[in-house]
Amino acid sequence: MPIDAGTVEKIAALARLELDPAERERMVRELQAILSYVEQLQAVDVTGIEPTSQVTEGDPPPLRPDEARPSGVRDEVLGQAPDRDGDYFRVPQVV
Amino acid sequence: MSRSPDSTRTGDGGRWIAATASEIANAVREGKVGAEEVTRAFLKHADHTAERLGTYLHRMPEEALRAARAVDAKRSGGARLGLLAGVPVAIKDNIAIRGIPTTCGSKILEGYRPPYDAHVIERLREADAIVVGKTNCDEFAMGSSTENSAYHPTRNPWDTSRVPGGSSGGSAAAVAAREAPLALGSDTGGSVRQPAAFCGVYGLKPTYGAVSRYGLVAFASSLDQIGPFGRTARDTALAYNAIAGPDARDMTSRAEAKPVDLSALESGVKGLTLGVPRELLEAEGLAPEIRSCFDETAAAFQANGARLVDVTLPNAKYSIATYYLIAPAEASSNLARYDGVRFGLRAPGKDLREMYEKTRRQGFGREVRRRILLGTYALSAGYYDAYYLRAQKVRTLIRGDFMKALAAADALLLPVTPTTAFGIGEKVEDPLAMYLNDIFSIPASLAGVPALSFPAGFGPSGLPIGLQLVGRPFAEETLLRVARAHEGWNDASEKAPPIAAEAA
Repeated sequence: MPIDAGTVEKIAALARLELDPAERERMVRELQAILSYVEQLQAVDVTGIEPTSQVTEGDPPPLRPDEARPSGVRDEVLGQAPDRDGDYFRVPQVV
Repeated sequence: MSRSPDSTRTGDGGRWIAATASEIANAVREGKVGAEEVTRAFLKHADHTAERLGTYLHRMPEEALRAARAVDAKRSGGARLGLLAGVPVAIKDNIAIRGIPTTCGSKILEGYRPPYDAHVIERLREADAIVVGKTNCDEFAMGSSTENSAYHPTRNPWDTSRVPGGSSGGSAAAVAAREAPLALGSDTGGSVRQPAAFCGVYGLKPTYGAVSRYGLVAFASSLDQIGPFGRTARDTALAYNAIAGPDARDMTSRAEAKPVDLSALESGVKGLTLGVPRELLEAEGLAPEIRSCFDETAAAFQANGARLVDVTLPNAKYSIATYYLIAPAEASSNLARYDGVRFGLRAPGKDLREMYEKTRRQGFGREVRRRILLGTYALSAGYYDAYYLRAQKVRTLIRGDFMKALAAADALLLPVTPTTAFGIGEKVEDPLAMYLNDIFSIPASLAGVPALSFPAGFGPSGLPIGLQLVGRPFAEETLLRVARAHEGWNDASEKAPPIAAEAA
């Protein structure tokens, strides 16, 4: 499947990644090379094969109760904020 | 001291530089040496090598000495010391240590200090190990050369014009250069095993689920595992034992992960069956020096009582294509959290969206941006079935091949890399060429089975060659036992790179 500048621009927007025109052109070339390589998977017969999303042995992982627990690191976390207003993370205008 | 102590002497306490982690832990436990003396010796040694090699992103001399003094005080107080008493350990910079910068080699995390310790760090502290610093790596563990670090490259201790491999290149180089007897890295498609091979040390990728990833910065969650580097099979086992086992904070970590029985490592290879995947050896680009080392090693295993059988992994040839869809897809999702809102870098923008886009453009390096785009594409509407879902199905076939082969053999023997360490700058402009180097390490990652890179020899140019053992789920002990037997007739793991001796 060929990939063009418009497609790269669309996925960059989905990924919230700014691209300048020069990088967009380079990404078209590099992604095209990688996608041409992975094209070989289209030739594999996967009829009736279940996908593997995670490799787990034995019993399914045990579940724990979904309960809130104190982390005790509130100030350390808030202290890393690039911009804050009291106990809130401040961000630029949203709308 | 079994390992030529004089070659790396650095004055008082310097003989410990050449000692194994097992020897150090025993001596510290028995009070023959203090943890502080050992730690000082390693810190001093690293003062001579670390800058030249670029091993660390952040060294922790004060914290290390404080921890060492605490270990010594614990012993004088009459307490029994842990498995890694007084043993310096270097930590890849994608593993969280409370209050210590953790960047993953990325500008987007510059200045970030995690408010908590990773599970493996808690376990190392419980074992009385001494954490000495955060090692350099490819940004977010994406790369095979450590050239993708946003800060500086790391150099191979055997030849400083060459790469140490990656992504855990700093950890491998630190152990090879004797800056620490042990290190931790992370392995998603070979990021522990490949640098171990390039630097001539052991590197273990445990079974998926053997080690908790709590506190490991996520790259590709269905593949990521934390694994140890060491200079002997026994040391590698010791480090594995210190970190393996279940943890409620990583739901994929399993109770089946049991410590390796160290005495079982001495059982030899007699009676074991080693599988040789012939068709993989015919892969394009396998260097003759690696091929001949492989053949000699296989023959030596046979001469020492192992049975060799041919096995087939017919779908392994699809591994790279499968991996380079699954890993970027998971990465694009995992890296969505770096948005400039709560921590790390923020670039100014006129509104929220522009702030996101500029922050991520400035904060992520080129390889990370490339993989985010590739992964976003593979997951996007209209392409999901053709790319991501299909890759997951091929992954099922690859895993099936391993399960079949490992039913016929106790472990598989294969190369780690097609070549020895390549030159710095040699492959940076061709991402696909860099990816194709991972042909021997990626299959075990996709199958979720344990794999060990062990030092097997040296090429004509004097660069180390590593080979790989791949085992059944949770059979780390078998791999380490086979590698330990190999030490009995092969001295590749005992040689130190010149820089380790020069620094003395």
